[in-house]
Amino acid sequence: MRTKMAMATAMLASAALALTACSGDDGGGGGGDPAETTLSFFTDKAAWESSFEDMNGASEGVAPELDFTGYSDPTAYDAFIKQSFRTNERPDLFTWHTGDQLAQLVDQGLVAETTDIWDEAIANGYVTEELAENYTYEGAQYCVPLNVVYWVMYYNTQVFEDNGVEVPTTWEEFIDVADTLVANDVTPLHQMNIIFEFVWFQAILAGLDPEAYDGLSDGSVSYTDPVVVEAMETWHQMQSDGYFIDPGVETDPQVLLQSGDVAMAYFGTFFTGQLNDLDMVSGEDYGSFLLPAVNGDQPQTPVVVETGPLCVGADSANEEAALAYSEWWMTTDAQTAWSESRGDVSFNPEATVTDEGLQEITTQATSEDSLQMRRYLEATPNDIYTVASEEFGAFVTNNDDPMGHLQAIQDAADAYWAENS
Amino acid sequence: MSAPTARRAELLPRGKKPKNPYWVSSIGFVAPGVLLVAVVLYLPFIWTSWISLNEYSGLGDPEFVGIENFTAMFADPGFLVSLRNTLFWVIGTILLPVGLGLLIAVLSHGMRGATWFRLPFLVPYAISGVAVGVIWSFVLQTNGALSQAMAFLHLPGADLRWLLDGPLNTVMMILAASWQGAGVNALLFGIGLQSIPKEPIEAARVDGASGFTLFRTMTWPMLAPLTTVVVGLAIVGSLKTFDVVWAMTQGGPGRVSETLALTMYKETFVNNDYGLGAAVALFLTVITVLASILYLRRQLADSRSM
Repeated sequence: MRTKMAMATAMLASAALALTACSGDDGGGGGGDPAETTLSFFTDKAAWESSFEDMNGASEGVAPELDFTGYSDPTAYDAFIKQSFRTNERPDLFTWHTGDQLAQLVDQGLVAETTDIWDEAIANGYVTEELAENYTYEGAQYCVPLNVVYWVMYYNTQVFEDNGVEVPTTWEEFIDVADTLVANDVTPLHQMNIIFEFVWFQAILAGLDPEAYDGLSDGSVSYTDPVVVEAMETWHQMQSDGYFIDPGVETDPQVLLQSGDVAMAYFGTFFTGQLNDLDMVSGEDYGSFLLPAVNGDQPQTPVVVETGPLCVGADSANEEAALAYSEWWMTTDAQTAWSESRGDVSFNPEATVTDEGLQEITTQATSEDSLQMRRYLEATPNDIYTVASEEFGAFVTNNDDPMGHLQAIQDAADAYWAENS
Repeated sequence: MSAPTARRAELLPRGKKPKNPYWVSSIGFVAPGVLLVAVVLYLPFIWTSWISLNEYSGLGDPEFVGIENFTAMFADPGFLVSLRNTLFWVIGTILLPVGLGLLIAVLSHGMRGATWFRLPFLVPYAISGVAVGVIWSFVLQTNGALSQAMAFLHLPGADLRWLLDGPLNTVMMILAASWQGAGVNALLFGIGLQSIPKEPIEAARVDGASGFTLFRTMTWPMLAPLTTVVVGLAIVGSLKTFDVVWAMTQGGPGRVSETLALTMYKETFVNNDYGLGAAVALFLTVITVLASILYLRRQLADSRSM
């Protein structure tokens, strides 16, 4: 009898162990007033927790509250989100990536459609139609923009003053500034061989021929086409002329800009926050300008725009409330609160941006004189981007013949488009 | 056969298997452990093996493609670089952390205050691999501490790009890992040296052996069982090198300093190619197990024949 009891207990223990691993909580109940609902919210922007807390203050009584879970490792975060769709724990709301990564979720029917929200937001002037293209798949929209980032040139005002150079308005003036700085033993530009190794390729090619830049993302233009080669040759020449800091220097770019080790750094507008954290003051210690187009004959100046989505998990526990939150998120009130908390630009042109420099950039980037272009990372299919980032990383490091790198990327592109055209 | 087992066999009637009256309950006691091992070890292994035969992005259902992932893996020049670097790591780890560990242990053996001599070598072992990578990145980056020190001393090579050029960056990272790993090997060899019986060594001394001859002919052979363990651990550890490389170069620039473990991680989680990542994982598992079996079988056979 005792033996049987012991056996039964042990069996139960093992069964419980297995069940614990498999079981899951269904999460909070849906229905009711969305403003009273708490949404499970996941993001890889762990450092932004205080801003999301500020948004809970702003949404009180008008939109749901966020229950924040932040990941600091983007790779681990992506794997977690993908896994969550295989369980009953689908996130109500989560941040993701535009481009190929969002297309994958849309293909699998994992994110809720937001076409109605976009239609209303565009009608209200909360967002531009141009931005909607980043969120459109087969005519329908998915997710809403969490944020928007314009890629601009930051510069150290003191270094500019000391070397007698001014903000350039044409590519020729930009090259003159760089040459003057080189002649005065100042390194003009920052660049990296990881994470943002592709940004100078996008800046030069978009500035040389925006259509060719766009064509790379749908396979209609080859990486070995003359205009792409010309862009790489221009970059190659700039590296040879000593425009860039050695990519082996691992000091943070904001520190290098502050110390004057580099005079300029081409970054997204999120860089403002990093400079402010060093107590640098916008307009006094640093400034920013749109990089002039390489080809001055272009009617518009290309501005690279990066945008990250805020998505609603399809069939999540609080799907309706999460969609209500998405709708509120795009309003001017919400975006003014967000911009104030983040000290950053907003996708909503009506939102108040307190930083004058950023306000100016927003005005320029959304004006008729500018042409908004998708960032290379999001514009390029993942299979091609993977190879391209490795090739650009090697090119930045070694400044060798560009053709080998372009051919390697084109080989990856050929393989991709053969299967996905 | 050991004596008690032999005696039990004699007591049992011929032709009858020993029957444990508690076998039913023993299953109940063993089951949790077996289940745990099955769930956390066997199932993931079987799942990984299956995924290696599929195309899978982590979303939706895997699509069976046969051995396509394996052919793609071997056709990829980046994988071959990764394989070469992993081989460097295996050789480098045996030569440096193990060799240095042995040297430290032998030099400090019997020395007064040996513990204090060995302690500084052991301290880095308490640091995680990622932290070691970050520390050494400061030292080895362009115009970092090493380059500045060499330039100050007017030594040649101050302009070398320690972490940018391959395979120099792999060599430097092996050195960084040796800084961390030598101490623990010294500790293990130290324990081994203490366990060697004194009599044969004394006898050899009386016969006139001393210095390197004494070490080569007496100490080294008697250390063999421990050397087998240390080298075996070093081989397995170096085959799955990840943390130091991830922290220092992330396998770059390009893919020039990737190791197999990094390739596996990047293919799976960065490139979302779970099938190819699983194929690399399986390949890495097979060579790790093969290397361990071949090495241990040879070493254990040698020690049995002694």
